[in-house]
Amino acid sequence: MQVIVERVNSKEEEQAVIKAVEVTDEISGAIELLEGDSKSFTVSKDGKVYIIKASAVYYIESVDKKTFVYTKQGCYDCKYRLYELEVMLGGYFMRCSKSMIINLKKIKNVKSQISGRVDATMLNDEIVVISRGYVKDVKRRLGIG
Amino acid sequence: MNKLKLWLEQTMMISFAIFVGIIIEGLVYSFMGDNLADFNLTWLQLVSVILTGAVCSLPTLFWLTDDLPKNKFIVRIILHCICLYAVVTLFGFVFKWFEHMEGFIFMTIIYFMVYIYVCLMTLWFHKRDENQINKALDDIRDEE
Repeated sequence: MQVIVERVNSKEEEQAVIKAVEVTDEISGAIELLEGDSKSFTVSKDGKVYIIKASAVYYIESVDKKTFVYTKQGCYDCKYRLYELEVMLGGYFMRCSKSMIINLKKIKNVKSQISGRVDATMLNDEIVVISRGYVKDVKRRLGIG
Repeated sequence: MNKLKLWLEQTMMISFAIFVGIIIEGLVYSFMGDNLADFNLTWLQLVSVILTGAVCSLPTLFWLTDDLPKNKFIVRIILHCICLYAVVTLFGFVFKWFEHMEGFIFMTIIYFMVYIYVCLMTLWFHKRDENQINKALDDIRDEE
């Protein structure tokens, strides 16, 4: 497929147009990746409801059947279950353990441990563990698996 | 599915390492004056090597979980090494890999060489994954 990139002056002007005979899995994947940043969902904190963009999320954790969303601004409660968010957000959001979803775009670097697990240092210097069983999925999502 | 793949990978890695060990053993005996042509493996011995690789891979799947702190993981690796040594010795005895004390000592040396080789290879794979992931992340990372 021919890919044309045109430079624009502002974020608002950014758009992607895909011309295809049919929407294949590859194209669906590309759409998911492109839409990832523009998706938003509701969260709450201290009784107030906020709408946050997916691109602001560092990682999402499930503790005792409650879901918590972590951003640079702090931690928020979320009504969605982890598996729902995983489907909803797609793109560079993916499971890194049974109880966590990580935003790959917010990882500063990773360091493998002797046990095979991978410690991911986020852009806010928090460390999130990527379990050994999910490392291959991460590699696949990054196109190196 | 992931566990099955890991098990097969480990089986291949261990079996390959044992075969390399056997080659080294043959070369050493040859160096010591034995005729290399007399050094041969039976069908049963070949099967027993793969079987040993398969059995030795099993504890890795269930015992060496990644949610342990580093020091506990190292203790578990030592116990794992001893446990597998017992398995290999048992298989060696059953499949008659050795007949004298000399053969047993040689098998022990090969075992520890194989164990260290598998550990180093596993660490190398992890390091390679780390480098590949870091490189790929550089291309997609958000700027803050």
